[in-house]
Amino acid sequence: MTVGAGRSRPGIGDYLLWSVIALFIIVPLGCFLAYGFFSVVDNAIVYRPTVGNFAELLSNPSYRATFLRTIRMAFEVSAINLVLGYATAYFIWLRPPGMRNFLVIALAIPLLMSYIIKIYAMRGVLGTNGLLNSALMALGIVDEPVSALLFNLTAVRITLSVVLLPFMVLPIYIALERIPASVLHAASDLGANELQTFTGIILPLSLPGGIVGAMFTFVLASGDFLAPELVGGIEGFTYGRLIFSQFGLAFNWPLGAALSILLMCVALGVIFVARRLGNPRWQR
Amino acid sequence: MLRSREICMAAATVLLATGPSMGQEVRLFSFEGYAEPQWVEPFEAETGCKVSVAYTGSVDEMFARMVGSDGADFDLISIDTSIIQRYLDNGLIIPFDMSMVPNTANLLPSFSAVSEVMSGGETYGVSMAWGSLGLIYDKEAFPDGVDSWEALWDPANAGRVLALDDANNNVTNAAIILGLDDPFNLDDADFDAVKNKLIEQKQYLISYYAGFEEGVNIWDSSEANLMFSMGEFQAVELADRGYDVVYSIPKEGGIGWLDTWALSKGVQDVDCAHKWVNHYLNGHTGPTMTELKGYGNTTDESPGLDYSDKLVWLRPVENFDRRVQVWNEVKAAQ
Repeated sequence: MTVGAGRSRPGIGDYLLWSVIALFIIVPLGCFLAYGFFSVVDNAIVYRPTVGNFAELLSNPSYRATFLRTIRMAFEVSAINLVLGYATAYFIWLRPPGMRNFLVIALAIPLLMSYIIKIYAMRGVLGTNGLLNSALMALGIVDEPVSALLFNLTAVRITLSVVLLPFMVLPIYIALERIPASVLHAASDLGANELQTFTGIILPLSLPGGIVGAMFTFVLASGDFLAPELVGGIEGFTYGRLIFSQFGLAFNWPLGAALSILLMCVALGVIFVARRLGNPRWQR
Repeated sequence: MLRSREICMAAATVLLATGPSMGQEVRLFSFEGYAEPQWVEPFEAETGCKVSVAYTGSVDEMFARMVGSDGADFDLISIDTSIIQRYLDNGLIIPFDMSMVPNTANLLPSFSAVSEVMSGGETYGVSMAWGSLGLIYDKEAFPDGVDSWEALWDPANAGRVLALDDANNNVTNAAIILGLDDPFNLDDADFDAVKNKLIEQKQYLISYYAGFEEGVNIWDSSEANLMFSMGEFQAVELADRGYDVVYSIPKEGGIGWLDTWALSKGVQDVDCAHKWVNHYLNGHTGPTMTELKGYGNTTDESPGLDYSDKLVWLRPVENFDRRVQVWNEVKAAQ
């Protein structure tokens, strides 16, 4: 094979790899973009370009409201997770090396499990007969089960925060790990106290990890439709479910594609901003 | 090393190539309760056809999946008589060869000549189950019973109500509750009234649910004690889980449906598909289904289902897409 040797003259390997990229990434993406400009008449897709989907998307107030509500929810999940995730990552980073590795692995294990099982588990935790309510009652904090924990937007926020937490902790932890010990030693040699070291060195050097994590959680939360459907109740009609309903229920793929394109633009915008913010000074 | 890999590749290729033809199979796409071991196992033993089932959460989902795959994913689908025309218009179903379904002789008279299943002299649906979309309530919470759908709009029951996530059935049921003349033929004013009625209900709901099992699961993990049900089967399931529930058709009436097996355009094993439909009408399957799942059957009497005179039987609607659109707006409303 000539994959490595083909710098001046592309070998067969290069063509193969390019065809894989074209076949599995570029062509599907192109199809997806194109569908956003088609339309549906009598349950059949009309392959004539139109901007009708985008006009409907912008003019229909219920789409707009759903979109804004979802973006706000995703933003809140990211903010909650940034705080929780940073505290968790910092805690792990301060443990002795053996314990550290154990905790990181323990944190990553849920990522290997089925997403839907985790959401159902959260339903079991948050329900009126659930774990959390049983615990609150056993501790005497409440007298009767709290039903406000499940089937509303709060439940969606809690569920997404829990499920997406590893995506926040891991990049922050990696950023913390990459801070050279010599920098910390220098700080203490120069007489910086713990707070000064944290605010002056640790936080600025690890925040880029937090920004990457916030980007992950925002993008994943804004497009999710399973958690809103399963724990969101009436309030859980999010943008992701709107997209799903176009594909799964209404058979309006073009409108679904157009809705997705808008979400993709937002995601790309967030990634762009995160790249800008996440580029630490010492890497420039 | 290379040799063993080549052998593996060859084996995989052979397996893939022979897979579909190795065993006979019928692929069902249906609502829950139509393919239970009690009649699937005897069928497999008798005919040698394997049964695989995919369950759907709603009428809308089923149609979208059938359109999306052009019917290729399934051999038989369970659709109600009102929607057969929509499948026909989209060319998604093909007629049965009735000579291969001799057990249609067992159909009760009221199910043997249903006009909606016929088109151009051909049979596109074989009636196999009927039932309703009734109201389920918890006996303990409502010792005096619930006789009106308005209970699902009663502020006193806020936070205790479940409703199904299905466009056509919600629009139709709301039209029935509002007492509109023809719940299957709404004009603009009717649509507005229905939409407002459904939006008004949202403040009292815990959640919408899609699928029998999902509805029962939410009932289990919430304080629900009233439900716009997908059918008799849910009351059976709730009773199995220890809930003392009543299945009823309120005074305004309720949706009645007659489900049929229909043959997908993308059917692969035509023979097994016909055998399954025939098996359904053999005089044992139907009554067993009624006994275990609570649905009415089409070959024998259905004890317990004594409310058929209160049902408004589903008919084709004025504009299905508009109903889906209205339903989406209801769900998106604040």
